[in-house]
Parts: sequence; structure tokens; C-alpha cells
Amino acid sequence: MLHKMLPYLILTVTLFTTPMAFSKEPVTITIWAMGEEGLNLEKITPRFEKENPDIKVKVVQIPWNLAYDKLITAVAGGTAPDLAQVGTTWMAAFAAMGALLPLDEFVARSEIVSPDHFFPGSWNTGVVGNVVYGIPWYVDVRVLYYRTDILHAAGFDHPPTSWEELFEVARVLAKKGNYGLALSPHWQEFLPFVWQAGGDVLDETLTRPRVTEPEFIEALEFFVSLFQTGLAPIGETIDLFEAFRTGFYPMFFSGPWMVELISSRLPDIKGRWSIAMMPKKVTRASFVGGSNWAIFSGTRYPEECWRFIEFMVRPDVQVEWYRILRALPAVKAAWQDPFIAEEPMMQVFGAQLEEAVAPPATPAWEEIAQAIMHRVEEAIRGVRSPAEAVQLLDQDIRTILARF
Amino acid sequence: MRARAPVPRRPGYLRARARTGFLFVSPAIILFGLFLMGPIIGALVLSFTDFNVRAIKNWLSASFIGLNNYRSLIHDPLFWISLRNTFYCVAITVPLTIIISLTVALLLNSKRLKLKSLFRLLYFLPVITTTAAMAVVWRWIFNYRFGLANWLLSLIGIHGPNWLGDPAWAIPAIAAMVIWRGVGFNMVIFLAGLQGIPSHFYEAAAIDGANAWQMFRYITLPLLRPTTFFVTIMTLIGHVQLFEEPFIMTEGGPLNATLSVAMYIYRLGFRFFRLGYASSLAYVLFVIILMITLIRIKVGQSEFGYGES
Repeated sequence: MLHKMLPYLILTVTLFTTPMAFSKEPVTITIWAMGEEGLNLEKITPRFEKENPDIKVKVVQIPWNLAYDKLITAVAGGTAPDLAQVGTTWMAAFAAMGALLPLDEFVARSEIVSPDHFFPGSWNTGVVGNVVYGIPWYVDVRVLYYRTDILHAAGFDHPPTSWEELFEVARVLAKKGNYGLALSPHWQEFLPFVWQAGGDVLDETLTRPRVTEPEFIEALEFFVSLFQTGLAPIGETIDLFEAFRTGFYPMFFSGPWMVELISSRLPDIKGRWSIAMMPKKVTRASFVGGSNWAIFSGTRYPEECWRFIEFMVRPDVQVEWYRILRALPAVKAAWQDPFIAEEPMMQVFGAQLEEAVAPPATPAWEEIAQAIMHRVEEAIRGVRSPAEAVQLLDQDIRTILARF
Repeated sequence: MRARAPVPRRPGYLRARARTGFLFVSPAIILFGLFLMGPIIGALVLSFTDFNVRAIKNWLSASFIGLNNYRSLIHDPLFWISLRNTFYCVAITVPLTIIISLTVALLLNSKRLKLKSLFRLLYFLPVITTTAAMAVVWRWIFNYRFGLANWLLSLIGIHGPNWLGDPAWAIPAIAAMVIWRGVGFNMVIFLAGLQGIPSHFYEAAAIDGANAWQMFRYITLPLLRPTTFFVTIMTLIGHVQLFEEPFIMTEGGPLNATLSVAMYIYRLGFRFFRLGYASSLAYVLFVIILMITLIRIKVGQSEFGYGES
């Protein structure tokens, strides 16, 4: 009896399995995302999966303070994800390790991703050694936050727009037993002054330090003067929110995340604070950071990962991401969307982004940054004069670069 | 029940028992070998190489450089600074932790105290609290303008310093945190030691007319010697590896005043990825701890008293 059924059995089985052989199994790409971004990414991935039915996205959320170590461990152990959100200052280290896939070919044949679609400072954070390794996802840029009412009461009708004005405003505000502005020796607070003066840390080849040039020294001297005249605190940490609310720190520099935080935590100073671009010396440069998308070199699905990147940098998706998390879009076209263009604070951020600089993309950056902060702190505390400090910094950087 | 006479053994019995013993111990030995000895030897090998960020994915790109890492250490000013900071802190924390924890243990051992469990709990809580949580609170305590420490000092007319922002006061501030954290653990050990002293010694001394101080000096201290020995060594070993408090409170600042050896190793190895260099510093720390421990043992052996130290 069975031998009569056998041909039909074989036919049926073949009928059912052949389509499976021809249709593609959906590919799953694993994405690591950090902090708030990781927690919210899955609000947008279903849309990607709908537009790309052959790709499934698995999002793994990692807290920021663990992310660096986890990524390094994964790379060393060969368990890196397909795609990850990588902080701009981390790009050079991972690229130097050979952990990231070069993206130049993808960029060349893509219509959605092209360098001129992004802010220049931001695009450069994804380029290491002239090779593209990361595509900017969102950016963060630092601006001046200030108390409009306190400045007004002191006789200033507009925020400081130059170094001299910054010093003058801080000097007047500091008279009443508080500080003129909050400031620290961190390189993200110091380097903008260097860039505003027209200088930089390294030359274009990223092999020679430029810290003994007059622009750098000028920036350091100005920075130090803010501390040594008592306008900014030396070695004091106060809760910034309380201090801004009471006017103890009437001005400070920070990024876009503070807008939401101040609005929600300090409702009683609503309407009495605002933001402004960095003060001008030669330029009004600021520090640009943010996160890039990078594909790991061990991935089995580079094409699928690239399609995800193209999705995330499409202007309409960038705007949607802004609605979800209020992170500044990296793509310039997204800023034309009325939802963004009509917000006054966003106008300041947008203008600042046109003049924003990223630190040099070298794997030696962590060490160089540490050296900069140490010498700047020495100058602030009067342990060394700025001229002495830059000489030693020059030697520090040369020693560090010699090992690379 | 008959008492058992020694049973005649057949040959290989002892060997079989030894085999069984090894079998039972093998999981622990394998784990120990894999997760402890393996990395320890690996770090030794690393310390003779120039392993850096490029080698993380491609181990073979690192090359052997012999003792160069150790030579570089000697010329590295941060090496000496971190050593100085660590030992400055240890010089404050180790004696104070031991003295305070012994005092607390003595107090908690007294028969007249009520609520012993409550006090024991309160003293032990800092040991099991997460450092991150403590850091938040202690940062406020040490705040220059609004902190509890300076407010208390102002009550007795002293203008407190900027504890965590002044290079001269940062280590004492960190030391206070370390002591506060370490007292509970040693207190528990001292308590156990104290309770191991038979009370008839005290009764005999009371009959002979000894006062509290004499009892402490001639009965408690000598009989506590094994415990004290253990506590000093553990505290020394632990405190020389000072890491968490400076890492969370000051990140090695201000001006590298709180950069401990362990923090420097972390920074070199996991921020700068100079794992070869960091391993050599780790081995230097290992040798230092080893020497301190050997010295302590030698000193212990030269003390005469009840039992060996």
C-alpha cells in the first residue's frame, strides 16, 4: 500500500520544501545601542522591519558606563555585534584595532549617505586615517546656557558674544558672592577656546602637536584667567541644577540634553534662561560629539547593516528620532523640517553646528586628552605658568605619539 | 557497638582514596587554574610585551620587549606619584582601621551593652553598601560650601578645606571613606577572636586584682595575636590595592593627588589599552604586597607570646 502512496508522498514533500529553499530566511542583525538611545531604539525599528521584510533587528541595550569595556571585550573575544552605536571619541580606538568595517565603498554607491549631507565637524568624527568607519547618527554640540533675568538685572541685554564680553559679564555677575560661570579643566570645556582662537591640538597629519603655537597659548591664558580671577570655581563641584536655579552659576557650557533636563527639573526658572552660541575670538567654534553608526568587521551581514544605516540617516527618520528623543539630527536636511526649524533653541544649535569642531581622530586621543587636562589643571592652579605648561604638554604629546 | 579495630587494607586502597579526593577537589582546581592562575601567568607574559590598542584584535601584532616596561616604569613620574599616594593613604588607613575596629569590637563585646545586634549591623552596613551609592553621599559630606564635614568643623570654629578639590586634603578625605568602609569587616573578625578568649582568664585576673587596662594588655592583646595578625595582613593587602574610592570620588584628581597604583593600572590598561605596560605595573604592585606580607610574617615570628603568629 505504501509503495503506491510513495510517489505522491515525495511530490507533496517536495512541493512544500521547495518554496522554503527559494525564499530567503529573514536575516537577523544584532545592534548594540547605549543609554536612552538603546531604550528607545525599538520604537523605530519596527518601521525598518516593515520596509525591509527580509531583515530582523535585535537591539541590545547597554548602559553608557559599561559600554566601552563591553565593546572592547566583545571585540577581543570575537563576539562583537553586527552594528553598534559608537561614541564619536571612541571611533579612532576601535578603528585602530581593526574592529570596524571600512565604509567608503558603501558611501560611494549610496544616494542617501554622502559627506555633504552632514555637518563637516560631525562627518569627520567618523573618518579615521582618511577611511570612513562611521556614519553620524545624532550630534551633540556645546552652547552657552545663561540666566536671562540675572544678566538683565546686571545691565546686559544680550548674552556675551566675544571673549571680552564673556569676561566682562562674568566679572560683573561674580560680584555678588557667586561665580560668574561654571567651568572645569575638562578638555571638552577647554578646547573650544583653542578652536575659537584659530588653533588646534595636532596638525592635519595628526603627528605633530601645535600646542606651543600662539593661538593655543592665548586660549590657555584666557581660560586660566577666568579661574584665577575668581570668575570660575577651582576644584569645586556643586550640583549644576541647583546652582543654575539660584544663580550661583549664572552661566555654563553644555549640550542639548540640558534643555529638557532644565525644563523638567527647574520649572521655577521657566522663561528666565536661554542659550546662545559660543563667544567669538576668531570663530565661534564649539565641541561637537554625538554617536555614529559603525559596522563591525566580523559581521556576516554587511549589506543588511548598511541598509539599516541608510534608514537611520534618512531625513524623515531623523526627524522622527528627534520627536522620540530630542537628539540633534546629524543630517542637515532634517533641520529643514518645520517641527525642528521653528523651535528657537534648535535655531541656536543649528547655527552652532555649522561652526563645530571635533577632536582629532587618533587612537592616541585618550592619552593626549589626559595630558591636556593635567597641564591645564596645573596652569589653573598656578603650579605652572601657561607658557611652561604648553612646553611640557608638547613633550607629553610627542612621547605619546612616538608610541603609535 | 563494637569499637572498630584497624581494618587490614588491601594494596592500592590509599591510592584509590587519594584519587577520590582529587576528583572531589578537581572542579575547584580547574576553576582556580582557569580563572585565576591562567590570567596571572598571562599578565606576567603580557608585561614583557608592548601590547597596545592595535593588538586587541590581533594578538600577534604585539612583540616581546623584555624588561623595557619595567625600565619605563622607573622613569615614569606617575609611577612614583601613584606609589606615594597609595602609601600615604595606607599609612593613615591601616593603623586607624585596626585601632578603631578593635575598639568597637571591645565595646560590642562588653556584657552590659544592649542592642548589640543593631550596632553590629550598623557598623557592618558600610562594608556591603555599593561604592557608587556611598560616593554620592560622601561627595555631599565633603562639599566645600554646603557639606556636613565643614559644617561640623565650623561649629568648633574651623574653616574646613575643599576636601575633594584641594590636592593637600584629597587623600585624607579618601582615607576617611576607606576607614569608614573597612571598620565593619575587621570588627566582625575581632569580635570572633575576642569571643574565643576563655573567660576564666579574666576571672582569674579579677581575683588577682587586675584593672581593665591590665586585663586588656596582658590577656586580651596576647590572646588576640592570631586574629590581629590576620587582620593586619588582610587590611594591608586590601588597602594597598586602593581603587574604588579614588575612581568614583575624584578620578585620580585633583592634579593626580589621589591617583593610586591600582587606578593607574586601570587607566593604563583600560583607557589607554597599554596592557603590556599596565601588566608590568600590576606585577610591581604584586611584589610590593608580597614583600609587605613577608615582612609582617617575620615581625610576627619575632614576637614572643602564646601560640605562634
